[in-house]
Amino acid sequence: MKVAFLVNDLQLSGGVGVVVEHARQLSRIEGWDVTLVLVREQEGPSWHGYEHLPHLHVRTREEALSDHYDVAVATWWETTFTLFELSAERCAYFVQSLEDRFYRHDEAEQLGAGLTLDLPVVFITEARWIADTLADLRPDAPCYLVRNGIDKETFGPLERAPINAAQPLRVLIEGSPSAWFKHVHDAIHAVAAMREPRHVTVVCGDREALGDVVADEIVGPLSHREMADLYERTDVVLKLSSVEGMFGPPLEGFHRGATCVVTPVTGHEEYVEHGWNGMLTDWDDLRGTARQLDLLARDRELLHFLRTNALETARAWPSWEQSSQFMAGALLAIHREPQAAAAAGAARLLADLRGGIEAYNGHLRERMDFARRALRYERPLARLRSSPIGQSLMALRGNRAVKVAARPLRPLTRRARRLLS
Amino acid sequence: MSDWQERITHETAPAIRAEHELRYRMAGPLILGGGPWVDLGCGNGVAAAAALGDARPANAVLVDIEAPVVALAAHELGMPEAVQLACDLTDPVDLQRIDEALRHFEGDPVVTCFEVVEHLSTFLPLLEWMGTLARERGATFAISVPNDAFWSIQNPHHLTAWSEGAFEELRRLLPAEHTLLRQVAIAGSALVEWDVQPVQHELGVEAGGEGTVASHLIAAFGPRHGDLWRGALATQTDMLEQRRWERERESNVLLAEQMAREQKAAIEAQERIIVEQREELRGHTATFDEWRAYIHELERELGRPLAGTAEAIQRQTGAAADLQDSSHSTEPVEPPA
Repeated sequence: MKVAFLVNDLQLSGGVGVVVEHARQLSRIEGWDVTLVLVREQEGPSWHGYEHLPHLHVRTREEALSDHYDVAVATWWETTFTLFELSAERCAYFVQSLEDRFYRHDEAEQLGAGLTLDLPVVFITEARWIADTLADLRPDAPCYLVRNGIDKETFGPLERAPINAAQPLRVLIEGSPSAWFKHVHDAIHAVAAMREPRHVTVVCGDREALGDVVADEIVGPLSHREMADLYERTDVVLKLSSVEGMFGPPLEGFHRGATCVVTPVTGHEEYVEHGWNGMLTDWDDLRGTARQLDLLARDRELLHFLRTNALETARAWPSWEQSSQFMAGALLAIHREPQAAAAAGAARLLADLRGGIEAYNGHLRERMDFARRALRYERPLARLRSSPIGQSLMALRGNRAVKVAARPLRPLTRRARRLLS
Repeated sequence: MSDWQERITHETAPAIRAEHELRYRMAGPLILGGGPWVDLGCGNGVAAAAALGDARPANAVLVDIEAPVVALAAHELGMPEAVQLACDLTDPVDLQRIDEALRHFEGDPVVTCFEVVEHLSTFLPLLEWMGTLARERGATFAISVPNDAFWSIQNPHHLTAWSEGAFEELRRLLPAEHTLLRQVAIAGSALVEWDVQPVQHELGVEAGGEGTVASHLIAAFGPRHGDLWRGALATQTDMLEQRRWERERESNVLLAEQMAREQKAAIEAQERIIVEQREELRGHTATFDEWRAYIHELERELGRPLAGTAEAIQRQTGAAADLQDSSHSTEPVEPPA
């Protein structure tokens, strides 16, 4: 069985990590040949964290074009651009989230990411909510479910949850601050609003994007092993994301005896049970989140109850070894079944494209209207500027005495500028 | 403490035996439908024998990892003519042997595979084999896995973890036409006459609905997947056996706890001895240091090299060599100071 997983690069990230782990596990099965195809031109080495992949092949797009595969699997919406260029008997799409949600409404990528779900492919996904959504969107397309496993060697479940009877509540905030949907700063503000003693650790690979924040500890980027150690020293993992696929970090925390306070984000329903192994907090409710954290800081019986159950939940979560058996089963089934008809999803694709064009037209119309209104002010100003009076005034701008005299008018001019912009 | 007795025997707790028997009762219409019956992970056949009563299929292939257990199942079922195979279900070659055994029989096979998948290090070969047999021989399968996630008990015999989520992953690999069932636990009690004559009670029990938690998850696929029997099973608890079983567990736990306490105490005693000996050693070292200082003082007064220094060792070894040389002489030699 010759399989190609298409990835943009091998930069350390959750999504790529999942693909690499599946590829690694599958390559251990006798008779399986697994290749990671890097579809984006690589600017530099991107192997950090994936140095030990002895059985895996890594090929550039150009190299892969001359190969033939039994199944080619796109793993991110942009990788679908290469999916049909490869010579493969079957094409599949491993959907790890509804990726159009990663973009704001005025970003062109939102439409592009959404359209890729209309392609004539077989879907594999990692969460039941995605499988259900895909079933609604594309009832014609088969969809296999392969939930992400957990690296039980690194995040092996503890024997029992550690007890924190009296120390300040140890809160861990994790996520990329530059990704708007992770709401890392909201989480930091929520813990800042706590009344009870706490110790806040922020894990962040991008300090610049994090900016100046109040936390007891800012660490990162960390290896998986270091993360496992950190989770073990954590009481609560706080995540206020608004978009998630499978939602891995709280589950990793569960394995190391931490509970979680999270938003009801997609993916949480796979394992978070409010009041049993974690707490659900409302959207955009930073005060409410702070009160929940305060409750856990005060009520150590509740905290330990949640941590104990979180650990029990973790025990029953599949390992990567188990998860990849389902991936292998899905790929074998995809290979066995006929390739999806090219017309499949075409109607949906065109409907989405039409919707996208209309939305784009709407945005363009808004912008043109705005530009027309701006021109109304721009023309008289330009005329004034080019007139002798205007030129004299412009020349006076450089005069020091005029500058000093005009200083009291600054707030007024600033407001006028803001209004015009 | 959990009793990780994974095979169903006559001594197994009644509730667990009833669970297992019910699954075979459920598959009864399939097993007795005419085609050959393959029981993967047949164990010692106790539950199947109880569930099938006096009826038996014409042909059976009994499969388990251990040959003596398979023989026991054939005996328990009263089917010495059944094909008995000791197979590793993770090995495609062993699975091929089951195919070969089935070639001798007419009809569409029925395969039961209850509480087996979770014991396999890899279930992929089994899944592939099942798919092929379903497509090529029109086989019908009934499989079950435990809902591990509900209790989250770490069973050392379970190599994979099963839950509604994992079962959903499995379901999507099955043919589109299939039957899914949840097996749920029921509890009950009965009144009997004082003279303990057995009576047959007709029981009515409401099971299922919202909030129902499955103890086991069951799937059937293949042409006859819809023929599964649906029902409940209640058996009288053998209180004597249950008491024995529970007391054994309790006494074993107490014994183990006592042994653990004793071991802990022994370790603590050893640690105390280590501390005492360390102190003693420290005292001896101090005494030796004092002696050494005193001896060095004397050696300095006598103008001799200090004991333990390189010079003294050299002198001492030189003197010893001299002594060895003179040992051939009959004259006694004064040993060096």
